[in-house]
Amino acid sequence: MALLRVSRREWAALVGAAMIAAAAPAWAQDVYRVGALNPVTGAGSTYGSGMQKSIYAAVAEVNAAGGAGGRRFEALAEDTQTSPEPAVLAAKKLIEVNKASAILGTWSSSVSLAIQPLTQGSNTILMHTSSAPTLFSQNVRNLGWGFQSGSKYNGRAMNAAVKNEGFKRPAIMAFNNDAAVGNVNAFKSAYEAEGGKIVASVVYEPKRTSYRSELEKVVAANPDVIALSGYLPDTTIILREAYELGVNAKFIIPGWAAGPQLLQALGPEVSEGVLVYESVPDANSAAFKRYSEAYQKALGSSGEDNVFAAQAYDMVISLALAMEKAGPGSDNLAIAKEIRTVSSPDGQKVTSFAEGKKLLQAGQKINYEGASGPLDFDEDGNAVAIFAVSAITKGKYVRSYVLN
Amino acid sequence: MLALAPYLNLAISGAVQGLVIALAALAISLCFAIARFPNAAIGDMMTFGAYVGVGGQALAAGSIVGGGIAAVLATTLVSVLTYLLVFRRLASKPLVASLIASLGIAFLMRSMLTFILGFDQQTLRVPVSRAMNFSGVRILPIDLWLGGLALLVLAATFLLLFATPLGRRMRAVAADMQLAQASGIRSGRVMIALWAVVGALSAAGGIMVGIKTVVTPDLGWDLLLPAFAAAVLGGLGSPVGAVVAGIGLGIVQELASPWVGFTYKIALGFVALIVVLLVRPEGLFGRPELVR
Repeated sequence: MALLRVSRREWAALVGAAMIAAAAPAWAQDVYRVGALNPVTGAGSTYGSGMQKSIYAAVAEVNAAGGAGGRRFEALAEDTQTSPEPAVLAAKKLIEVNKASAILGTWSSSVSLAIQPLTQGSNTILMHTSSAPTLFSQNVRNLGWGFQSGSKYNGRAMNAAVKNEGFKRPAIMAFNNDAAVGNVNAFKSAYEAEGGKIVASVVYEPKRTSYRSELEKVVAANPDVIALSGYLPDTTIILREAYELGVNAKFIIPGWAAGPQLLQALGPEVSEGVLVYESVPDANSAAFKRYSEAYQKALGSSGEDNVFAAQAYDMVISLALAMEKAGPGSDNLAIAKEIRTVSSPDGQKVTSFAEGKKLLQAGQKINYEGASGPLDFDEDGNAVAIFAVSAITKGKYVRSYVLN
Repeated sequence: MLALAPYLNLAISGAVQGLVIALAALAISLCFAIARFPNAAIGDMMTFGAYVGVGGQALAAGSIVGGGIAAVLATTLVSVLTYLLVFRRLASKPLVASLIASLGIAFLMRSMLTFILGFDQQTLRVPVSRAMNFSGVRILPIDLWLGGLALLVLAATFLLLFATPLGRRMRAVAADMQLAQASGIRSGRVMIALWAVVGALSAAGGIMVGIKTVVTPDLGWDLLLPAFAAAVLGGLGSPVGAVVAGIGLGIVQELASPWVGFTYKIALGFVALIVVLLVRPEGLFGRPELVR
């Protein structure tokens, strides 16, 4: 019958394919693919390479311990360019072509928000370091996990810092996106819930050549502190213009808008007294030391400078422990459900994948204490981080205190 | 005076913001008048100039003047090269070929800058100083310097265009290329002069933006839209129009911000653009015959 006529060439292809398929189990156990989708270029490039290398280091650690739930990890690297469009293309490629089951380490909320519908539509696990409120309010089936504290916690941290410093007339300036505006709104509700009042509030647009009018509007309300929620370039311009205009109010900015480049651009005189709040890893924990060693080896600099890389490292370990807990052959929904349970406070404390795997196989409850923090996830899938406040003093970041 | 001060501050802020894009708008307008296509590579030419400025400043022991001179020289060279290697060959083709080629050059330049230097922000260092305060009206010394620099560059460009034989030839080519050639003007030399001026203006614009903000690979590309808006509003092909429209758009945007807010002030600039073009399609200073 013509229906089943197969040419010689097609036979050859078929036989070849069958041989490859038959050979595969001989050299590999089952593979669980994760996409390391990080900001290697663009505004997040300070962190992206470190995040990607840390994911690879953690994957190697998991595989060295015999894999998780009977599966070996395989990481695939992609660059988000810190921009939603290339990030979506890369995520599509990872999910549809590479068959990645999880996407790890997206930075900046605009990127994570753009990817969220794709991962939710394909039951892919998304682990990110973004803080936009909708990432958590629209999180379904436990597929999304935020390793960086969300707006709610950033707002609380700002509030605690402002209280601690004794400021009475705070004003707000926010970069116009979901995360930055979410952060200052959370600060506003925390501050005003305790009877205070925000004296002025401005949302500014990205990529302007000057923010003088925005600054002058806020300063007209005579604030004693300006909570500035933005990114490095706009923060640099605003702080410099504030100095030039003789603004007396102090500034409090997030850690991701600070860093060595800010100091280099502003110099000691302009940056003096700027307060920085940021989530910090627990540098004394065993997981942090293991991560830090891998980071030093891969990048030649201290892992302490890149809290997002510590979070990326933890993503792999958390995911691997959850896979181990869910057992061989579990699907993503079953795995996602266990991410919270392997680091819940009532389990036995573990600080590495190998240690956790052993206890899980012995049927015990575990609590992974990560490199980036204790990783106790709230009901929305957001890890609650430790925050600290630094003050820029004579051109250096000087850690002042840890917030509770 | 007191009630007026906030508005004067807004107007000053707007004028300075307009001034930094005026040079780019002028480069676009000149390019359109003489080479007859909208050159989308001018934004990235500015970026290139700003980066050469950063490198030149480092080499010149921190001198911003040294950085600026290096930027103008290098960008002028690259601009002339883009003409010799690309745009000259496309001159006989439809406008869209040159436009697409300029987009390609823009992407190429940005990608190369990013590939070699990365995305980290760089800084053009100038001494930071406090504003002078005249009963609430604040004037930044740096803005005066930038304004002076822009005026100097503009004056030099206008002198070249309107007071030298070369400028006369450039304007002749702009008015009618074939007639100019028939009159014995060697249009090749005129074009090289044009592309040199476009490069120098882009570099000066890039340096000014770099001083006012920070130097990133997106510096010029992000300003391309407002610069084009200014060039179109001023009347494509009109050098005076480009500068006046650039500064005017800046002032209108800032003065409107108390009413429309800081988000929609940007849209307002484009609303002004649309209104002017509806009433006067050739732009504020344009002559209809310039755009055939």
